[in-house]
Amino acid sequence: MRVLALHPEKCTGCLRCELACSYMQTGTYQPSKSVIRVSPFEGYTSYAPYTCTQCAEGWCMTACPVGAIRINAAGAKDVVDDKCVGCKLCTIACPFGTMFYDADTTKAYKCNLCEGHPACADACPTEAITFVEGQTADWIGDFAAERTTRVLARESA
Amino acid sequence: MPARHLIIGGGTAGLNAIRTIREEDGGASEITLVSAERPYSRMVLPYYLGASIAESHVYTATPASLAAWKVKAMLGRRAKSLDTGAQKLTLDDGSTVEYDDCLIATGSRAARPPVAGADGPGVHSFWTLEEARAVIAAVQPGTRVVMVGAGFISFTILNAILSRGASLTIVEVAPRILPRMVDEACAGIVASWLVKHGVTLRVGATLTGIEEWKGKRRLTFKKGDPILADVVIMATGIRTNLEWLEGSGIQVSSEPGGGILVDDRLRSSVKNVYAAGDVARGPNLLTGTLEVHAIEPTAQEHGRVVGANMAGRDLAYRGSLIMNIVEVCHLDVASFGQWDNPKAQVFTATRTPRSQYRKLLFEGGRLTGAMICGPAEDIWSTNDVGMLKGLVYSGVDLSRWKAHLERNPFDIKPAYIASHTAGALLPTTNLGRASRSPQLPHQVMVQ
Repeated sequence: MRVLALHPEKCTGCLRCELACSYMQTGTYQPSKSVIRVSPFEGYTSYAPYTCTQCAEGWCMTACPVGAIRINAAGAKDVVDDKCVGCKLCTIACPFGTMFYDADTTKAYKCNLCEGHPACADACPTEAITFVEGQTADWIGDFAAERTTRVLARESA
Repeated sequence: MPARHLIIGGGTAGLNAIRTIREEDGGASEITLVSAERPYSRMVLPYYLGASIAESHVYTATPASLAAWKVKAMLGRRAKSLDTGAQKLTLDDGSTVEYDDCLIATGSRAARPPVAGADGPGVHSFWTLEEARAVIAAVQPGTRVVMVGAGFISFTILNAILSRGASLTIVEVAPRILPRMVDEACAGIVASWLVKHGVTLRVGATLTGIEEWKGKRRLTFKKGDPILADVVIMATGIRTNLEWLEGSGIQVSSEPGGGILVDDRLRSSVKNVYAAGDVARGPNLLTGTLEVHAIEPTAQEHGRVVGANMAGRDLAYRGSLIMNIVEVCHLDVASFGQWDNPKAQVFTATRTPRSQYRKLLFEGGRLTGAMICGPAEDIWSTNDVGMLKGLVYSGVDLSRWKAHLERNPFDIKPAYIASHTAGALLPTTNLGRASRSPQLPHQVMVQ
């Protein structure tokens, strides 16, 4: 299946992905409601996007007590709004921190790969986010480890 | 002859087991389900009470879906006794079911304290669908509701009672609210929040009786004034439904909490009899100790692992992580793992004006417990809730982050990402394979 591949070294922190995502997911331009989140590293000198990996376990999906999370045609775990009651069990089941809750709709929501046309990848001007055939991965772990080493060393000095 | 699987109990554990058997065998075996009630989800009953969903929404199986899954459903019947030698279950109507292997998933029921009047008229529990219907009928705009018990169950229905226009008083025997879900500091934040939102709290109150008084309920306490109520809801804990197993030879723990003792395959002392959910005393993920967690995620995982093993897989269960989340008046509260471990190294932080609280508990370099509290609008603008779960579940080494997290327990995101937590978790699955979409078993072919 096609996955969102994240290339943090190309991310400029422009947050276009968050704007595009929040618009696709909630109909409003509110980065705080985006399901892709850009984190700053090394005192806001470098950035990395982070989002759902569509993991094999599908912790959110197996946790849902009413079967409201299903695999869509794009292979993404997707919340069926009419079935979700907003109990938030998926949010503590997901160990990646990529299940969210919209207090306005009282439903859980997450990356559903925009049904196969992810808005974040379209919006990214530097190809830091691409939608490609392949396996998902821990895309930003190495980058973050490297970019935090100096900060932690300075803190402990 | 196809294997004959018997599932006793149509709750979360039983239904997950059935679905998993069908995912594994595509319909090749015989499955019989014995359930006292038509299968529904207890988790969503509070939303039915709050009128945000219809009753039809609570059901997790219909006669049609059970038929499509090739399940012989015996609903409305209770298990009466189990003869593990003859591999035969006797039901309350005297009929019997023979099996090759069987799952005990008979769950638990609401318990009431031994107090005069606790079983009287106008006194309710909120556990089954039938009990939910009774509470819905009783709680109307202006109804004065007193809830006894300030634990998780009570807090899951708090919003719904308020949204029905009732007034609410919660009384708790312990000196604070949520004694088994959060620590004292967090309980204090939640208590202030609730009082601000019009809920009356009375802690350290030992109930001594409930009596009729001019058409109302009068609750009396060891100390302090009595309280008058139209409706009393007893949220005073649960008991596992195990009495019917007496004489079966299935080993039940004599420790507090009880439960059927299971091995790492979730088999009882009788090897073709499994146990799952609230009745099973299964392993704790972090400590390996056998415990009854009585939470939905444990019942789900138990059910899926048992289903796979009944279908012929040989899966070891990793163990359950105790965790809870509840939202009260738009304040979210969650805890994970060993949040009350007195031996752990503890970092906490409070942002009082925003009602935010964090607690991190370390054993060496490993996070083994966590707590998070804050207004819904703040909590969901971060990835923190799930990341705390991931850190506790994966047990990644956070040694180099500890000093940083001690200074700022709120800043877990860089620690999570830079510790390759996602990489550690990605290969992890409960069934040794990718999970299937929940609607797929509808495609099981009737042979």
